[in-house]
Amino acid sequence: MTSANKSIRAARYGMTIDVDRCNGCGACMMACAVENNVPPAHEGATDRKGLTWIRVFKVDNGEEYPDRRTAFVPVMCQHCGNETPCVHVCPQQAVDVDPATGVVGEMPQRCLGCRYCMAACPYHARYFNWWDPAWPAGMEKTLNPGVTPRMRGVVEKCNLCHGRWHAAKEAAAAAGKPDTEPVDYTPACAEVCPTAAIHFGDLNDATSVVAMEAGKAESFRLLERLNTQPKIYYRSKRDWVREIAAAPQPGARKEKARG
Amino acid sequence: MKTNRREILMFAGGSAVGVLFTPAPWRLITDTALWSENWPGIPAPARGEIRARFTNCSLCPAGCAVRARCVGDQPVQLSGVTGHPLSHGALCPFGIVGHHLPHLPARVKEGPLKEAAAALADGIAKCGPAESVAVLDLRPSRTASWTYRRAMAALKNGRYVTPSGDTSVAVDLSKARTVLSFGVPVLDGWGTPGNVNAARTGFHLIQVDPVESRTASMADRWLRVRPGSEDALAQALAGRITHAAAADTTGLTVPEIAALAKELEQNGPVLVLGSSRLASGSGIVIARRETPVPEEWKKAAPAENLASLPDRSVRVLMIDESASAEYLSWNAIEKKLVGDNPVVVVFACSREGYARHANYVLPVGVYPEVADDIPPAIDSVAAMFRISAPLVSPPAGMVKPEEFVAAAAALGIGDTLRERADTIHKTGRGKLFTYADAKSQALKDVSADNFWKALNAGGCWIDELDSKPSPARLTTVAPEVRPAEESELPLAVVLTHELTPGSPLLSKLYRESNLRLAPGRVALNPSCGLDDGAPAVLETLLGKCRVGVTLDAAIPPGVVQASASPALLDLCAAGVRAKVVRV
Amino acid sequence: MALGAGWLAFPRVLYRSRPQPVNFSHKIHADKAGAKCEDCHSFRDDGSFAGMPTLDKCSSCHAAPMGTTATEKSFIDDYVTPNREPQWAAYARQPENVSFSHAAHVKRARMACKTCHGNTGASDSLRPYQIDRISGYSRDIWKIPGRPHGMKMADCVSCHRQKGLEHSCLDCHK
Repeated sequence: MTSANKSIRAARYGMTIDVDRCNGCGACMMACAVENNVPPAHEGATDRKGLTWIRVFKVDNGEEYPDRRTAFVPVMCQHCGNETPCVHVCPQQAVDVDPATGVVGEMPQRCLGCRYCMAACPYHARYFNWWDPAWPAGMEKTLNPGVTPRMRGVVEKCNLCHGRWHAAKEAAAAAGKPDTEPVDYTPACAEVCPTAAIHFGDLNDATSVVAMEAGKAESFRLLERLNTQPKIYYRSKRDWVREIAAAPQPGARKEKARG
Repeated sequence: MKTNRREILMFAGGSAVGVLFTPAPWRLITDTALWSENWPGIPAPARGEIRARFTNCSLCPAGCAVRARCVGDQPVQLSGVTGHPLSHGALCPFGIVGHHLPHLPARVKEGPLKEAAAALADGIAKCGPAESVAVLDLRPSRTASWTYRRAMAALKNGRYVTPSGDTSVAVDLSKARTVLSFGVPVLDGWGTPGNVNAARTGFHLIQVDPVESRTASMADRWLRVRPGSEDALAQALAGRITHAAAADTTGLTVPEIAALAKELEQNGPVLVLGSSRLASGSGIVIARRETPVPEEWKKAAPAENLASLPDRSVRVLMIDESASAEYLSWNAIEKKLVGDNPVVVVFACSREGYARHANYVLPVGVYPEVADDIPPAIDSVAAMFRISAPLVSPPAGMVKPEEFVAAAAALGIGDTLRERADTIHKTGRGKLFTYADAKSQALKDVSADNFWKALNAGGCWIDELDSKPSPARLTTVAPEVRPAEESELPLAVVLTHELTPGSPLLSKLYRESNLRLAPGRVALNPSCGLDDGAPAVLETLLGKCRVGVTLDAAIPPGVVQASASPALLDLCAAGVRAKVVRV
Repeated sequence: MALGAGWLAFPRVLYRSRPQPVNFSHKIHADKAGAKCEDCHSFRDDGSFAGMPTLDKCSSCHAAPMGTTATEKSFIDDYVTPNREPQWAAYARQPENVSFSHAAHVKRARMACKTCHGNTGASDSLRPYQIDRISGYSRDIWKIPGRPHGMKMADCVSCHRQKGLEHSCLDCHK
């Protein structure tokens, strides 16, 4: 794919999510579903068969009152940068890592629904369309033209609001900006978070909020020991949250993660 | 020529090989692949010019500013307005999917307009000397509310009723150093979420809650009390009972209560929410100046609390359930109605609420179809005027409650929102904040016409602050405590509230994850013996209703957390006891 | 026989054809009205492409007949007067899962309209819209002699590859 490509300044789009600010309201989940034309739950859907490209989990430190502490952790595709598991296993090459942006892009059009990628993803961030999407009569008028709706039988996941990236690229082209520069846009979840817990930006840009936050001591990533090099950084001042993110072997701690 | 089997086979074989040299089979393969991608029945989003339109969300008293990304004129995405002085660009999960409400599958689409009008006229005529015709306005202080008050004043025995609570009281969060909340969801929907978030680092939050609510988990300190014992703690802090007695009732320890009392003393001013036993620090709770109204409107019926009406005195009741508001238990309303054939007309978009009890259900437009104004939120110190400007047209046949009630009382009304806007403009006070450019300008620099235009294209009027605001008190609606608290029912009910009606997309939060509890569902400790997801029946002394069960180890045994739905609220209020059994 | 069926009969059967609602002549508008492509097929302020002009563009000149052709008269009677939008069929309409940006190709790459759309601007009439019965896609998107028909991804990719602009699938898919 990268045969003699023009040199571009590659971006590595990532996020920093402040777990201490997240209040579990779910605004990000709703904004994501609206932006990406994710249909409402089918009758048979449960939390294991749902389509939640971003999902907020409630975790706690395993203690009882008054030592009990709780946190909310939004999890979406972590856009692994190293040996991206889903890209490796896909028999259809229906997912690839974009060298220009670092985004792990899923193409539901190519997917044949084997769900190997869902097994490979250590973050359980991929979702399968068990049913054809169905919107109540009239609600299809509210669909977003920037994203194509998927049919049943394909896997889908967060792609950092690529529809918005396309629109931003088009606006940049119309404004005469050179195409070697990464575009400036904001995914739906970051835009809408009422507590400003989610920030998005270019990790390669040392002046961006995400790059600066990612380098701080309180920042960590999920399952760091797997060395998938995800681009979603989390931050919390609470040690027990970092320990849950590292997910030590079962039985090592009393923590329970539910969501 | 006689064909035999061999020739047929040779012909077939030759054709098969030959056809491979034509584009046909290859085309069929690729076209079938393309066909399989473009599955019929998958809607294709409409294309068109992308525009931004603005309005205010009328789903709750916060009235957050909304920026709608539209394809042509159809909203496809809602978000907040950055820079708004009160909502600061925040929009809650319910507001984000507000544009789906016009398409709710179970929406009330038609109603018996003529029969309802006739029944109303009949009932009004038959009204006895001690009886009354009443409008129950579940979202008071709107411009439409003034029309109801004027209409009831025009009737001989008209009364205008609201749920208890004073909407002219405001809370200045910026002045509070500590917030003591008795179960009030301060960080989960109270006031204006954007404003609370912006002020968050300025106050220390102590949440008193029987279960770990979202607010409790984010608070600086959570005090877990037994359900219904919040008042005991308040009494102890007010010095009316001893700390030991309170510790006994609440389940807290005496040192915890003593430490709390000390903290409140040292870290004032304190804002107290959810209990009227304790006064907040000075300057925090004030009487807000009223948004100006035309002088002629002031000859209107006063606002009366539902509780203060005599029992069995209302012959005709009109309930405005059109603006989303908290549902009052039907029992509180029913006992005010006369015994023989009262007429109850409800304006609603959903059959889940008072429609279950009313004689006539008249369909109304929903957000964002109808123009309505949103009174200032509790945490807005300044008076405000903001209109939820319609973004789409309502379907045919919808009733406008304001016009219907005015007609029933033979009161002539004009464009009441415009009249109010003009009255505000005449005062020359305050500022106009417009959303398209996020700019603020003094009202006196704007013409009356432009003011009206701006309000309808996304804007709000914010009054000047009173230099010496008069103090006020927050009255708490006392939950209707059922008699016979020592019942055999094993569970104490704790209520949570979601905004209803909501988009079907909220299934992401309710069903496709366990983040929030859907209305009509209950959460129980796994020790209850029921299965997760099982259908069950919740029973209180007032009756039963079906509920769905979610198991949650965070709920203490002996407590049932119920997500309020009208059916549930008819059966219980906070503090009541219940049992939940398998169906 | 199979060869004959495959090469001759199959294409006839595979495609369904319908004429455009109005037999619009690009040539007349280019010559007489001095119109260039972008006068009617313009960009919006946010960089998106407006595509087929809407009726108000035509009505701005054709509120009354400007010429003497029967085509124009029936256009005014059928569409302008009753204010009805003509249902144009876009030959080059991309499938739902493709995100094509005119701004990137016209403004950045400075491609001429004819490179992809052929000499439509000089044509006197509109060719019929042919649709593949199975895939539902338009047959003749290029109208460039020598350019293969149909809408394969490979056609776009070959040009992108030449210019060194192949980064990732989601560059063009949405």
